Amino acid sequence: MNAPLLEVRDLNVWFSTAGGSRVHAVRGVNFAIDSAERAGLVGESGCGKTTTILALLGLLPPTAQYSGSVLLRGTDILADGEASVRSARWTEIAMVFQGAMNAFNPVRRIASQLVEVLQVRGGMQAAVHRARELLELVGIPRDRANRYPHEFSGGMRQRAAIALALACEPKVLLADEPTTALDVMVQAQIVELLRSLCEQQGLALLLVSHDLPLVAQVCADLNVMYAGEIIERGPVADLYHAPAHPYTRLLFAATPDIDDDSELVSIAGAPPLLSRPIIGCPFQPRCDRAFDRCETEAPRLKPVGGNRLAACHLNDSVPSDAPLAAGP
Amino acid sequence: MLPEVDPSVVEPAGVIAPAEPGMPAGRRASTSPWATVWRAIRHSPSGLVGLAILAVLILIALLAPELAPYGVNTQVGTRLAPPSGAHLLGLDDGGYDIVSLLMQGLRVSLLVGFAAALVASGVGATVGVVAGYFGSATDATLMRITDYFLVIPTLPLMISVADIWGPSLFHVILVIGVLSWTMTALVVRAQARTIKERVYVKRQRSLGASHRWIVSRHVLPQLVPLIVANTVLNISYAIFLETALAFLGLGDPTRVSLGTMIEHAFLASAISQGAWWAIVPPGVLVAVIILACTLFGRAIEDAFNPRLRAAHLGARSFTRVRVPDGSR
Amino acid sequence: MRRSDYLLKRTLQALVTCFVAVTFNFLLFRALPGSVVSNLSRVPNATPALKEALTREFGLDHSLWSQYGSYLVQLTHVNLGVSYQNSRPVIDNLIADLGNTIPMVTLGTLISIVLGIVTGAVAAWRRGTQLENWAVAPALAFYAMPAQWLGMMFIVLFSAYLPTGGMVDNFLINPTPVQHIEDLLRHMILPSLTLGLVLYGQYTLIVRSSMLETLSEDYILTAKAVGFSKPRILARYAFRNAMLPVVSVVALSLGFIVGGAILVETVFNWPGIGLAVYQAVLYRDYPMLQGAFLVLTLSVIFFNLVADLLYFRLDPRIR
Repeated sequence: MNAPLLEVRDLNVWFSTAGGSRVHAVRGVNFAIDSAERAGLVGESGCGKTTTILALLGLLPPTAQYSGSVLLRGTDILADGEASVRSARWTEIAMVFQGAMNAFNPVRRIASQLVEVLQVRGGMQAAVHRARELLELVGIPRDRANRYPHEFSGGMRQRAAIALALACEPKVLLADEPTTALDVMVQAQIVELLRSLCEQQGLALLLVSHDLPLVAQVCADLNVMYAGEIIERGPVADLYHAPAHPYTRLLFAATPDIDDDSELVSIAGAPPLLSRPIIGCPFQPRCDRAFDRCETEAPRLKPVGGNRLAACHLNDSVPSDAPLAAGP
Repeated sequence: MLPEVDPSVVEPAGVIAPAEPGMPAGRRASTSPWATVWRAIRHSPSGLVGLAILAVLILIALLAPELAPYGVNTQVGTRLAPPSGAHLLGLDDGGYDIVSLLMQGLRVSLLVGFAAALVASGVGATVGVVAGYFGSATDATLMRITDYFLVIPTLPLMISVADIWGPSLFHVILVIGVLSWTMTALVVRAQARTIKERVYVKRQRSLGASHRWIVSRHVLPQLVPLIVANTVLNISYAIFLETALAFLGLGDPTRVSLGTMIEHAFLASAISQGAWWAIVPPGVLVAVIILACTLFGRAIEDAFNPRLRAAHLGARSFTRVRVPDGSR
Repeated sequence: MRRSDYLLKRTLQALVTCFVAVTFNFLLFRALPGSVVSNLSRVPNATPALKEALTREFGLDHSLWSQYGSYLVQLTHVNLGVSYQNSRPVIDNLIADLGNTIPMVTLGTLISIVLGIVTGAVAAWRRGTQLENWAVAPALAFYAMPAQWLGMMFIVLFSAYLPTGGMVDNFLINPTPVQHIEDLLRHMILPSLTLGLVLYGQYTLIVRSSMLETLSEDYILTAKAVGFSKPRILARYAFRNAMLPVVSVVALSLGFIVGGAILVETVFNWPGIGLAVYQAVLYRDYPMLQGAFLVLTLSVIFFNLVADLLYFRLDPRIR
């Protein structure tokens, strides 16, 4: 069997803080994604999802240390650090940054920044031509493109960011909260744009978000992250109807549903501090189904039937081909 | 952009927000502004060094009359006599012991420095708070006045004052104070404006709190670290100005200050006579005071405005670690 | 605000500030009670004829307002009076002095800018390492030294190798242009170096702070993600954006450097506007003092305006 397009094996990331302590932000993350697959990475703020995808492009800060490997078609692109990952940047893996960010240089026009990226790989003429194509592809009219970033609306800026990401024809597209800070209507447009482009070009998409309905629209599979670990993975529909981890269940339950009259559920408490070792299940303090084994033994990610994996002791007491029934 | 909670950041010295009902849980309760300042310094090695040096110098200055081996008005030998057992730093151009002169001069210089800085900070902070808090017409007027003060050249003003009212220490302090308040005013105003826009201040206004109450309870305490840092920097500027004025013969002729020591050495052609002991010590002492003030002042400033994001580019890069197998 | 509107507004403001400065100049030197110009008996070496001439020239026997009026008129004719020391028009003296000051101060400023940018950039690039401390510590140390003291130290250290006073060697007869330039430079190096060293520290801190600020911007991360090399990002993105605030600070401080040269010129006996001020103070040459005051103030206002307009021109976000 061929190696998957992108595979992350046992990725751990630590940060050294100014105070001298060490924060274990990503704890043994594994996943793989293939061409034309679209997977989501969800979790609350601070769970490590942004750190994870930054690691894929080698964009960790100097205060970070990591272990594990990021395999592109079987080769570890992080093996030599900066040197080996640079050649993969943008030509193989590209990223659409957060909607709230200033991804573009404020003192240069957007079109020229796009051209600059293209120019490195071809002549000026070809670059300008291709830039126009890309901008059209994402729906930015030509006369608007030659402006400064601050003259663009949030939605247009994100379209430009998508154009930038596609510039070097990558095989994997990472999107980190691409619709945060955008209007709801614009969010829908951007997400649809992403989806259709990935489908057209057969790109692998890894969408990071805390917005579950959004991710559900675009992605077939979902990875749920908590306290630096992936605690459940599987097809979106399955996770919604029959979650195998209490956190997943609560996450879906916390999402407001316009057709549903029941009370909003919120998850009390806060995620554990990542600067200390975690004993037992990381979700245990906030879990409504925890029992004594959860306090002492950390659950491992195990198959729970179908294409699914979950890290919860509750699944051990049922046969592996029947996921845990949804709770109250 | 970096992980939601960037742990590689310097811990802000204290989230200075008064605790209020309705504030989200988890925010730190208010700490006294002085405690904040102290905490800021504690974490900075250079700040501590600066503080220590200043403390020692202030102590020497206060005890100068007791510590000085000889009186400053007692001629104890020939002019510009070199260092010897009895006189560790030799004698100046008037035959006075340099070590004693240094202590006395330190006393006067520090006095001028502190007093002038207090004047400058007092006026500057007042103008800054009023301009920043009340805004609009008041702000515009005060800023125009500040502009005019900014362009007054120091020396001609001092000359005029010295000639009209006599070159006493008091006048020196006054002139320096009058010319240095503008920096403090600008800095304080900027911060006051930011504070004024904060939600809880607006809330207080809508609840009917008087301006005076808001300013004294909410605005001023938050400005304390900034004002302290600025005052310390004003001290160093004042001491520098004093040496410049003394050098040009505009200091108080009846008092010994570090500035007048340098002036006397210059006028007596100490250089050509090779009498380095008359030149080097006072200058070194001035440099040490200014350096200590700068380190101390900047340590407070730096902690008050923490750099919230780490640089993305630098000579260092993230590193890979070898993890023993089986660890999580 | 559109570009031309802003230009106009700022220039008008600057002109108003000039006017205020001119008025303040007048008040300080002429009109204050006990002002020595009005108190003729304190003018040194004043012969009755000189007193009468001064009275007539300054209109001291007229009212304050008419004095002010004639002062303004004199200004428009660029008549700043006559110096007590050499009986030449103040304006001529000032022009000659400025001509001597500008090369020395320019060299000093260049030194300080270069040193500041290099040390600041190194400190930012090597953040958190020992090299950063090595870059910043000397900057702060020199910054803390009084300029006149550093000048005196240099004289002590280099008296054997370099001339330590004056602008040219008076014993050099009929020098060729090359010899003259060489002589000039040999005299200029120490004062300029002194000036450069005591000034560069503030630039180091600003450059370092600005570079760190720029390097933490999101678009730098994007540039890195896109696959640009570090040198490329530094040169084309970081440096240019980081230098923006630095340019404005440099322009602002230029206005004050000319005044700050007073200490250095005095120590090295360099015949520029700084030394002129020192001597004017010593000899109580009030016309010279007043003229110099005016020049210094106007130069500060001018450079403030330049700094503002430059920043406006360079940063498209403000436009």
